[in-house]
Amino acid sequence: MTTLVALLAPLAAEEPSTAVPFSEQPIIRVIMLSGLAAIGYLVFLRRNRLPFHIMTVFALLAAGAAAVMFPGATDDIAHYVGVGRGVDLITYILEIAVLFVLIHYYTKFVELQRQLTQLTREMAILKAEVERVTQPQTTTATATATDQ
Amino acid sequence: MSITRIVVGNSDTYVVIAAFNEAQVIRGVVTEVAAQGYPVVVVDDGSRDETAAHARAPGVTVLRHAVNLEQGAALQTGIEYALRRGARHIVTFDADGQHSVEDIPALVAALATHDIALGSRFLGKQVVGASRGRKILLRSATALSNRMSGMKLTDAHCGLRAFRATVAPALSITQDRMAHASELLRKIHTSGLRVTEVPVTIKYTEHSMRKGQGGFQAIRILFDYFFRAS
Repeated sequence: MTTLVALLAPLAAEEPSTAVPFSEQPIIRVIMLSGLAAIGYLVFLRRNRLPFHIMTVFALLAAGAAAVMFPGATDDIAHYVGVGRGVDLITYILEIAVLFVLIHYYTKFVELQRQLTQLTREMAILKAEVERVTQPQTTTATATATDQ
Repeated sequence: MSITRIVVGNSDTYVVIAAFNEAQVIRGVVTEVAAQGYPVVVVDDGSRDETAAHARAPGVTVLRHAVNLEQGAALQTGIEYALRRGARHIVTFDADGQHSVEDIPALVAALATHDIALGSRFLGKQVVGASRGRKILLRSATALSNRMSGMKLTDAHCGLRAFRATVAPALSITQDRMAHASELLRKIHTSGLRVTEVPVTIKYTEHSMRKGQGGFQAIRILFDYFFRAS
């Protein structure tokens, strides 16, 4: 985390931005809060996951809702870690998070592909072996017929 | 059941053919190879046409991938099957009719002193029907491949090759798609196998050209080689 901050520090803007009162931006806030609520609902539907996962997601959603209600708070946190604006801080965190998720799913995808190959290969070989035993071809027909 | 003349002496050299939507030409290819007494393993890579049905012939085993996995995977399936059947030599052969069965004995003969014999389009024999642009593409691919694999070959991506069954595990293909040819060369190099090149004749027919790899695919092959290695 400290290395991340050190990396991001030079990027920080100089002038601090001001917090926006709720009454000035009702529309965007309603949109954001509804989006967060929708995600929360979808996660709640998939509650076969570990309670820990669910709680983590809800904590993140709550943090998101808090950021919508008190935009100034993100600026305070940003200043604390050495970033100019809250929006910038969120962007940086998002970039890392998106890359992490991308690599995670890419790794999973490659692994799944490998498993699919293995499975398909085994099936193909197994089927050919079964066919070879049950319906012998011309060249081996005589030998097999006398065996039985 | 028909009676087929089988040439004796080739029965431990398995010819592996990966086929995808080759119903038009596969019968001619497999019967020609099987007539020489080579056990043929055709891997139908989830074709949407009648490739599997057309490939069935005496002396031919047809394996079928339930889903299309692409050429590298299909070849590896055929190779593993051939190994289980007790193959001593394994030959990979293209399904589209561009290879000549007459080239197989020379490849197999080379295995007496080498672990793997690669067919080469540019070693003496001529390339029939290839355009000028295609020759340039092939030569560039070879030059690049030599740099990557650290070997000096005249033709990097000929699908006609033969190797001893004993070295098959070292050559195991993990690149499902077309980058398997480069993967093979890398594995030959890293496992220090004795490799040689044997001149082969490639017949570029209208059919094989349509199914072949163009310059655009070359970029995708490079991507696979570097980013999908497992």
